[in-house]
Amino acid sequence: MDEPNRPPQILVVDDDQDTIAILARHLEREGFVPIEANSGAQCLKLVHENEVDVILLDLMMPEMDGFQVVKALRDDPLTAEIPIIMITARDDLDARAEGMRLGVSDFLAKPVFRRQLASRVRAQLEVVATARNATDTIDRLEAARKNHAP
Amino acid sequence: MALQPKFAEVETPFAVERALVGEHPAIVKLRALIERVAPTEVTVLITGESGTGKEVVAQAIHTLSPRSGQPFVPVNCAAIPHDLLESEMFGHERGAFTGAAGSRHGLLTTADRGTIFLDEIGEMPGALQAKLLRVLEDGVVRPVGADRGTRVNVRVIAASNVDLAAAVAKGTFREDLFYRLQVVPIVIAPVRERRSDIPLLTEHFLERVRDRTPARELAISREAMVALWSYDWPGNVRELENMIERLAIMCEDSIIDTSILPENLVASARPATAPIKVKMNNGAVNLNNLVRELEGRLINDALKQTGGNKQAAARLLGLKRTTFSAKLRRCGVIAPASLDEGREG
Repeated sequence: MDEPNRPPQILVVDDDQDTIAILARHLEREGFVPIEANSGAQCLKLVHENEVDVILLDLMMPEMDGFQVVKALRDDPLTAEIPIIMITARDDLDARAEGMRLGVSDFLAKPVFRRQLASRVRAQLEVVATARNATDTIDRLEAARKNHAP
Repeated sequence: MALQPKFAEVETPFAVERALVGEHPAIVKLRALIERVAPTEVTVLITGESGTGKEVVAQAIHTLSPRSGQPFVPVNCAAIPHDLLESEMFGHERGAFTGAAGSRHGLLTTADRGTIFLDEIGEMPGALQAKLLRVLEDGVVRPVGADRGTRVNVRVIAASNVDLAAAVAKGTFREDLFYRLQVVPIVIAPVRERRSDIPLLTEHFLERVRDRTPARELAISREAMVALWSYDWPGNVRELENMIERLAIMCEDSIIDTSILPENLVASARPATAPIKVKMNNGAVNLNNLVRELEGRLINDALKQTGGNKQAAARLLGLKRTTFSAKLRRCGVIAPASLDEGREG
């Protein structure tokens, strides 16, 4: 797979429209393209309709909460490897423990600061690129091996 | 002073999963890459922050290669003084320089038919970079003071904890050597980018403690695990390994709990439990910030109690939904630019 030559696309999932608007503005100012989802169900729909690089997920949402969304994303092979940054209350130990168990990639505590948000998102983009480059190198070695095979 | 090269202790069977623990996609692919590149003869450049396991990767490549029965010679280019590095690597003839009483083989010759691992290659002086390039190109090692060189058959694995491409751009590292080394680039992700592996790594290091002391039961509490997960680990896997060893020694019963964790580690898991200052204490206070902090905490508590239902949380705090939303926006999610400064570098 080629390196995407587009700005990173971040799916922002929160039931509160004001919160989405603010996170989206933070992300835009950092050079990312936000995609907005106002429920877990919409997140699961949009993640298949867009090339999503990182998901920013609020834990506390009515109907489908953040944990259920994480589980659904991780159970689907098409979305299993997309990094998920979960937004929780600052000292919510139970939420962190459960998120860790389900496969959350990182946490952000409220209030979310722009710099912190940007550095956590970049770390996830970085590790995705590292994995992708390893895959590319494996493909390159495999192609070279085939070319040299008698 | 002679620097003794150390040789790989070849364990059989070698399992790359034991050497590089983790299930994060970046580590799974790293292991696959190691297995693919090992049987080839190509030069490898490993990049990774301090403590990520660059030497472990180099050893794994050597051990899985047809050269595994031959020497694996690690050289830390930053640890050997610059003026000694050339004779250490290339050897010298008798009388080549003051103090060279006899002739001596260099590490490149020691590694003949095996692998040489050049760690912190970015620290190698320019003149030596040129000499190494010639070894890579024609396989001839010429000791200091010798008229002729000898042919060696060495696989080179280099590593750097800084981005060598940036060093090339700055002019401190030779571009031709960089491309010659980077035939296969391998990047090791730092721990903070793959936190989901922290529980596995922790369990792996705990298992090692248990192996040494089979009579001892040792586990880690959920709270302590969350703290380990939340910490950034600037020293990466090595720092985590040292921490687990230390905690195992400090732990008096069978459960490692937050009470014995260092302060900075617990703090990273719970950054906001510090009491809010309500006295003037000789200095000025920023009342707006304190009020915002208090509001933020109560809003978070209310949201926690109501399972995220904002309407109910607003009622708990005696606020209208619209007022609650405005406060949430101000305290719960956004921070003004002035508060952004200095929170995280």
